[in-house]
Amino acid sequence: MEVLERLLNVTLVIATIRTTAPILLVALGGSFTTKAGIFNIGLEGQMLVGAFFAVIGTIATGSPWLGVLCGIAAALTLALIFALLVVSFKANEVVVGLALNILAGGLTVSLMKAIFGTRGSIFGHGLVGLPALKLPNVKDLGWFGQMISGYTPLVYAAFILVPVLILFYNRTRLGLYIRVVGEKPEAAEALGISITRIRYVSSLLCGLLAGLAGAHLALGYTTMFTENMSSGRGFMAVAILIFSNGDPLKILLGCLLFGFSDALSLRLQTLGISSYLVLAVPYLVALIALFALSYRSRPRVIQETLASMGRALSVKSNTVKPAAATDASKP
Amino acid sequence: MSDRFDSFFGQALAILFALGLGALVILTVDESPMRVLVTLLNGAFGSPERIAGTLLQTTPILICGIAACISFRAGLFNIGIEGQLFMGGFWATWVGFSFNLPPALHLLLAMAAAVFAGMAWIAIPAFFRARYKTNEVVSTILANYVAILITSYLTINWFKRSGGQSETPPIFESAYLPELFSFSRLNWGLIIGLALALAVHFFFTRTSRGYAISEMGANPKFAEYGGIDIKKQTFLVLIASGAVGGMAGGVEALGVHHRFMEGFAPGFGFDGVIAALLANGNPIGTIFTALFFGALRSGSLLLEVDTTASREIITVIQALIILAVSAQITIRRKASDSTAGERRWKF
Repeated sequence: MEVLERLLNVTLVIATIRTTAPILLVALGGSFTTKAGIFNIGLEGQMLVGAFFAVIGTIATGSPWLGVLCGIAAALTLALIFALLVVSFKANEVVVGLALNILAGGLTVSLMKAIFGTRGSIFGHGLVGLPALKLPNVKDLGWFGQMISGYTPLVYAAFILVPVLILFYNRTRLGLYIRVVGEKPEAAEALGISITRIRYVSSLLCGLLAGLAGAHLALGYTTMFTENMSSGRGFMAVAILIFSNGDPLKILLGCLLFGFSDALSLRLQTLGISSYLVLAVPYLVALIALFALSYRSRPRVIQETLASMGRALSVKSNTVKPAAATDASKP
Repeated sequence: MSDRFDSFFGQALAILFALGLGALVILTVDESPMRVLVTLLNGAFGSPERIAGTLLQTTPILICGIAACISFRAGLFNIGIEGQLFMGGFWATWVGFSFNLPPALHLLLAMAAAVFAGMAWIAIPAFFRARYKTNEVVSTILANYVAILITSYLTINWFKRSGGQSETPPIFESAYLPELFSFSRLNWGLIIGLALALAVHFFFTRTSRGYAISEMGANPKFAEYGGIDIKKQTFLVLIASGAVGGMAGGVEALGVHHRFMEGFAPGFGFDGVIAALLANGNPIGTIFTALFFGALRSGSLLLEVDTTASREIITVIQALIILAVSAQITIRRKASDSTAGERRWKF
């Protein structure tokens, strides 16, 4: 009982909210591409350059907010290259995404060495993080006040974005267009929606949030940049996107699950469990969730396969993406 | 034939384009591209020892590349080769230091352990991909992280060499993969890799089963109408790919390091995936792309000593090459209006 008390308390909730925020931001970014029917494995790289350039921008200008903008700009650049190759040149999305991840890893380390002459991490050099927000009048709320106050601004941004995105998909024209392009490209074409333009827009929106996620990782979650500091969060986000189908609410639930397992595993470390096993927990949770939920959604998979087979037999449309790729992105 | 030549020519152009971009990147980090190139070439081919060093780096990339080719041919992406390599390397080492057996038998058993570990590590993602179409790209990538952490855990918490750093005890000499020359650690792994490339090429081009699997990669629906059991073949192909990935780990453990340690083989699995992509899933082509990447890797060791550039600049160049090639192939495909778009393993 004492062990349980040590594990579960308000600080655990706070830790969960902290660890959820970065992955929530990047997963919400990925929802744009998922909804638009693009399988974007490049989230990891966009997040990484976002983190790196947020740090560079902060050191150069002295302002963490300008740093955030730099991080977003860098992630947008990668997102633009992704869109150019995948949407315009119709290159394979898995190949391009993986190559951009590798590019991001190599580029950040090379630039780190060129600029700072070191490997590993950047801190100091006048690097300041984003300030923590103290909400007014929370003292009266007791433990609840403790729970909702004192985070860096992008944590709040991540959670506020969930309802914003729900409204965006259900109530705005662009949100509707993105969904149509992803679900029924033939219908989009018939309606005169430019599939290319919508896919570019969703790729860039995705880059925007992935950059924000990276900036948060480097300026809010920590105040430093470390080699490969995104450490698979982008891939976990892709796993969440697969079983949430890009729906913001399900994304939130998935991300809270990861945030919780992350926070809990950090706790377990204090109980003397090997850090290697503890660090593996979030990846294992991602894998188990991926497998368990794909088992559950099996009937739908069969339906979709039959439907897509029927479609492929009846109409031959050039705008429909290769069947294998579409199936893989929505198991 | 002319199509083939076209493809080669286009590929070469794309690589040149990427190298040009790479030169720009090198300029931005304040280093002369020419000096980097000369240092790279010198580091990779400057002496017999360095050539052997290049081939030593090529070996795991080649074997991992073949593992990737096997999956690409069937239209699948095994990106988890890094994890299979770590698992294979660890369990081969475990057999190597835990038992004391006669030479040939010991080596064979250790290698079998590596292959089995690779197969076991991909078995669950393979099962779910085959049965429920669970995206294998994500599941195998996530499995990499787990494999690396678990092998580190086993090494440090259970099998740490007493008094040593984070590494296992050395394996017995009876489990060593023999070396080819006296002056280098270059070993029979290279021969294994070349033989595998030929065998896989033969399988996909000369056997009916290999042809059926290629057909499945090119056009799954057509293959299904042709009577191929897609689920079964998907599972078997991924398992075979994992087996080769595990073997790469076995070769590294038994031939090069003779022990297992943290950071056992950094990035060979990913390099193998890139090499296979660049060769368009062709095992024979992978021999050359793996050599290319092996030379880059081995040259980059000298790069870090002689210039201010970091060896990660190599990674940047590799990524640029893949991006350039991925765009170039589709441009050509549009021009010739081929219907090869169904082929998922093509760029």
